[in-house]
Amino acid sequence: MNNRNHEGSRHGGPPVVSCENVSFSYLDSGRPALGEISLEVRAGEYVGVVGPNGGGKSTLLRLMNGLLRADSGDVRVAGFDPAAEPFEVRKRVGMLFQNPENGLVAPFVEDDIAFGLENVGVSREEMRERVRKAVRAVGLDGYEQREPHTLSGGEKQRVALAGLLALDPEVLLLDEPTSMLDAAGRRGVLERLEALRGARTVVHVTHHLDELLDADRVLVLGAGRLVADVSPERLVSDPDLLRDNRLVLPTALRLAAELGLGPAKLRTPEDLAEAIVEKSGARAR
Amino acid sequence: MRIELENVRHVYAPGTPFEVEALRGVSLAIEPEEVLGIVGGTGSGKSTLVQHLNLLLVPTSGRVLVDGADVRTIRGRELRGRVGLVFQFPEAALFAPTVEEDVAFAPRRLGLSEGEVHRRVGETLGLLGASHLAGRSPFALSGGEKRRVAIAGVLAMAPEVLVLDEPTAGLDPATREDLLGVVRALREEGTSVVMVSHDLDEVAEVADRVCVLENGEVRAVGAPEEVFYAHPTTAPSTVRVVRPLRGPHPEVGRPVRFEETLAALKGLLEGRV
Repeated sequence: MNNRNHEGSRHGGPPVVSCENVSFSYLDSGRPALGEISLEVRAGEYVGVVGPNGGGKSTLLRLMNGLLRADSGDVRVAGFDPAAEPFEVRKRVGMLFQNPENGLVAPFVEDDIAFGLENVGVSREEMRERVRKAVRAVGLDGYEQREPHTLSGGEKQRVALAGLLALDPEVLLLDEPTSMLDAAGRRGVLERLEALRGARTVVHVTHHLDELLDADRVLVLGAGRLVADVSPERLVSDPDLLRDNRLVLPTALRLAAELGLGPAKLRTPEDLAEAIVEKSGARAR
Repeated sequence: MRIELENVRHVYAPGTPFEVEALRGVSLAIEPEEVLGIVGGTGSGKSTLVQHLNLLLVPTSGRVLVDGADVRTIRGRELRGRVGLVFQFPEAALFAPTVEEDVAFAPRRLGLSEGEVHRRVGETLGLLGASHLAGRSPFALSGGEKRRVAIAGVLAMAPEVLVLDEPTAGLDPATREDLLGVVRALREEGTSVVMVSHDLDEVAEVADRVCVLENGEVRAVGAPEEVFYAHPTTAPSTVRVVRPLRGPHPEVGRPVRFEETLAALKGLLEGRV
C-alpha cells in the first residue's frame, strides 16, 4: 500500500467507529471477506465506501452493527463492541439495507416508519411528530396508509430511509440507499443526507461515485482489503485506482476525462456542457 | 414473438380503501429482436407493466396479445417458458445447494431431457461469465455473482423474450457493463429484451426503443434520440451534456450512446464539424 492512497481522517471529532485488524470469513468460501482491515471514522464525518461486488463493503457494515462477529480483530462503535452488545450499538446506529424488502415489517407505511421508535421508548406524541417529518422528508406524503407490499422498489427504499430518519441515530450506515431510485428520488435522498452533515456520522456504501463527490473521504475496498482511503477528488482523478477496483466514473465525468477537461472540477452533465461552450467559444474567437 | 398491450389498465385491490390504479390504459408493442427500455419514476407502473407480459398479472381491463392471440387463451406455464421474467433482486429466490442445480431447476420443469438441461446450464453460465461458480453454493456468492446466477436460471429456459426488472441495481459498474454486454449478445441471437430501469444512462447504451411511463401512462415511446431529446426531464447524462450545445452548435447532432457522444463532442471541440 502506498501512502498516496492513505490520507486518513482529517476530521477533528473523536472516533465513533473503529476497526483494528479486523478479519472475517463466511463459511464455505475460499478467501476471507475482510482481511485485517483497520480504519477509523470520526464523529460528524461523511465517509463513502466503494469497491467491486464481493469486495467486502456490506460485510463491513454488518460487522459495524453486530449482525456479524469478526473472526479476529477489534470493532468499536460508539464505545461498544457491536457483536457483544448489539442493542447498545443499535440504539445509536441505524442501518439501511441494500434490498429494501429486507427491512419492511409492518402492515402500513406509517407503522413501518414508526417501528424503530417503538423499540427505543419515544412518547406517542413525539413518535407521531417524527414520523410526520420523516414522511415529508422522503416525499411520501399521502402514502401513510398504504401497505408496503403494494409499493414499488423505489418507494419501499424511501420508506426504509424514512424509518431511519425518524429514529435519527448518531451514526447512519447506508448500504446503497439509492439503488432503486430514479434521478429525482436520488437527488432528494442525497439532499436529506447532506442536511445531516456534521451533526451525524454517515457511512455510505454506493456504486455511484457521483454521490460521493462531496464526501469527506472515500474508502476503497477490494477483495477484502482496504485498498485506499482518499479524498473524492483524488479518487476520480486516479484512472489506475479506478480501473484496478472495477470503478467507473459517472458518465459526465468520463466524457470530461476523455475530452481532457479534468473530471475533478465537474459535478453534473450541465457543468460539462458549460465547460464545452466556454472552450468551443474560445476556439471560435 | 411479438407482444402487444392494448389499452391495459391495472387496479390493485379494487373496491377497497387501498385501491391503486397502477396502469391507466397502456398500449405498447414489444417487437421481435429488439431491446426495449422501459423508464419512468418510482411508482410509475414499470414493474406492474412487465408482470403482464407473462401472465403474472392479468389486466383489469384491456388485452395482452402474443403473436395476435389473447394471453388468456395460452397456458401460463407455456407462456412463462417463452417469456422469461427476472424480478428485482432475483437472487432472493436462489434456493438450491449448488449454482448448477439452481440454474437447472426451470429447464428441468419444462420437461427437457437431462442432457439438454445440462447443455443449457453450461451454455447459460458461460454466457454470463459464471461457469467457474457451477459447483459453489449460491448463498456464499457476492451480490454480483448471485445476480448473474439468478438471471442464468431464467435464461436457461431459452425464452424468446427476456424481461429484466432493474437488473443492475446494486451491481458494481464493471459488472453492470458485463450485464449490458449480455443484453446485446442476446439481441444478436434473436432474443427480445425488455429492460426496466431507473438508470437512464444504461438504457441509453443498449435500447433500440425507449418507452417512458408516468403515472401509469405511456408518456413517450420511440427511438432513443427522439424520446430523450424531446423530454428534458427524461434524458441520460450524454443527452444532458449535448442538449444545451445544440443551440449554438446544431451540427453536433443527437448522439445518445457514450461512444457516439464522445465522438460528436471531440469533433465540436476540434472544430471538425
